[in-house]
Amino acid sequence: MRTYFNDLPKTALGASYWLFAVYLALPLTLMVAMSFKDANFIAFPIGNWTLSWYGKVVQDKQFLEASLYSIGIALATTVSATIIGVWIALLVSAENIWGKAVIFALACLPAVVPGLINAISMRIFIRAVDIPTGTFAIVLAHTVHAVPFVVIMVLTRLRSMPANLVDAARDLGADPFVAFLRVTIPYLMPALFGGMIFCVLTSIDDFVRTFFLGGYQPTLPMLIFAKVQGGMSPEINAMATIVLVVTTAIGIYAEHHTRRSRS
Amino acid sequence: MQPVVHFKNINKSYGALTAVDDLDLSIAPGQFVTLLGPSGCGKSTTLRMLGGFDSPTSGEIYLEGKPISHLPPNKRNVNIVFQDYALFPHLTVGRNIAFGLELKGMESAAIHRRVTELLSLVALEDHADRMPAQLSGGQRQRVALMRALAPDPNVLLLDEPLSALDAKLRQQMQIELKSIQQKTGKTFIFVTHDQEEALTMSDVIVVMNKGRIEQMGGPDELYARPRNRFVANFIGQSNFLEGTVAAVSDGIAAINWRGNLVHADVNGAAPAAGNNVTLALRPEALYCVSRRPEGRPSLNGRITERVFKGAHTALTVTLDDGSTLAVQIDPVALSHIEGDDVWVGWRERDAVLLAN
Repeated sequence: MRTYFNDLPKTALGASYWLFAVYLALPLTLMVAMSFKDANFIAFPIGNWTLSWYGKVVQDKQFLEASLYSIGIALATTVSATIIGVWIALLVSAENIWGKAVIFALACLPAVVPGLINAISMRIFIRAVDIPTGTFAIVLAHTVHAVPFVVIMVLTRLRSMPANLVDAARDLGADPFVAFLRVTIPYLMPALFGGMIFCVLTSIDDFVRTFFLGGYQPTLPMLIFAKVQGGMSPEINAMATIVLVVTTAIGIYAEHHTRRSRS
Repeated sequence: MQPVVHFKNINKSYGALTAVDDLDLSIAPGQFVTLLGPSGCGKSTTLRMLGGFDSPTSGEIYLEGKPISHLPPNKRNVNIVFQDYALFPHLTVGRNIAFGLELKGMESAAIHRRVTELLSLVALEDHADRMPAQLSGGQRQRVALMRALAPDPNVLLLDEPLSALDAKLRQQMQIELKSIQQKTGKTFIFVTHDQEEALTMSDVIVVMNKGRIEQMGGPDELYARPRNRFVANFIGQSNFLEGTVAAVSDGIAAINWRGNLVHADVNGAAPAAGNNVTLALRPEALYCVSRRPEGRPSLNGRITERVFKGAHTALTVTLDDGSTLAVQIDPVALSHIEGDDVWVGWRERDAVLLAN
């Protein structure tokens, strides 16, 4: 009895962990499984298995266009968010800048403002300054959302950077720009890499902002949303599975990469 | 000879705090010069101003006769070995050393030759492809030194580069640094708070305190002839006796000290009878005997503390009037133990008068 009670917290912890793992994995597993079902509707039992939905998806022009569009937006977002993020991080880490705290707080605000509020305010803003809805507006919104994460990651790395590294580069003949390029940037690489992966993933994933700011051309989440409106089908499952596999692969690669560079 | 570096009336203040106070210092080429002083004495600030990382509030710094105060660090032909080495963690040892050469626009074959040559100077030829993180402290130190020497600077600055090493390695590196300085013939300006480091390596020691130079000279000169109390106490250990000059003859002053007549070298000063003076006396210059020595002035006292230190034994002798003297004796002299009655004296030239 005693031992039973002693072990109870441990047992409970272990059990709840597995429950949670199942809760996480089950819906995804179901989604993936259904994408192989040789029938038009989603339900058990699966019966016959097929790859035909994948064949359909890969030949689906809409899907391919939406994917390319999403990737394009993600890349543009990554480039602009990284440049702005690094710039803000450098500004904030500099020792004597007036209003440092304010700059930092403003840059990080979009990370805590709800996506919907963010999207609506962006929509009002672009209307006010006469920017049309579409690619540029989407990239603008995605960038605003991604910048705080880049800032925080780069800032953390910058704070661990020995102050003398840049001095040493200057001492050996580098002007400020060369020192930044050849010493600061390589030192920041792990943070930049992590930040960029994050930018790509959040941009591809974003629905709310894209929904409010997008034009006629759908991104991948918008396309899937539109298809779901017309009723679920294993084709949607196949699409989602492809997205799942690709994003997970990027995530695993990033994790592996940072681990290797850390050791 | 034209000095390689000349600090001319340099002042540096941070707000109300004066870091360097009207410094005037000329350094001759090819010398190993040490700026020695406690933390906050202005030695590092002086070094940083020469490197270009701080600018003087007033005054001018000349490098080979040319004013350089307005130049950024990358336009000055001086290089620094930083306290924490500041090796670039993302570059190999070879690329670290090549960094300054690449920026000079040297072609890669020449760079390779120079890097190999420098690495062989510190026996690290086979480490060119290692990353800094894979090196030991001493190896990092050597790489940092070679990286700074690579672009062939007029002057090499070293900012307490040995402070992170353990005692044994530090001593070894002192010898190595000195020999590299002699081999390359470069002017080294070394900053430290460690008097032993300064004494071991330097041709010239500049003792600094509160932003000013207290005294400048060769290690033996500073040790034997300290000009003031600060130097006498910062380099080695000293007893200080404060008294009044009774008479001066032949460069030796006779001084009334607590009713005793003691003697000391005037140390370049010209004291007059009746002046109040301080006399500095090294513990190892004192002798200690059991019977009153014939014909030599000596003071009577009692050994109140005896500490065996290995190479010597440290005694505290309390004199009849209650004042104490630190005395160092031969460790094999087993005769003197605590409580012994002894006579303490010194050769007149071994005691020096200090400037007040």
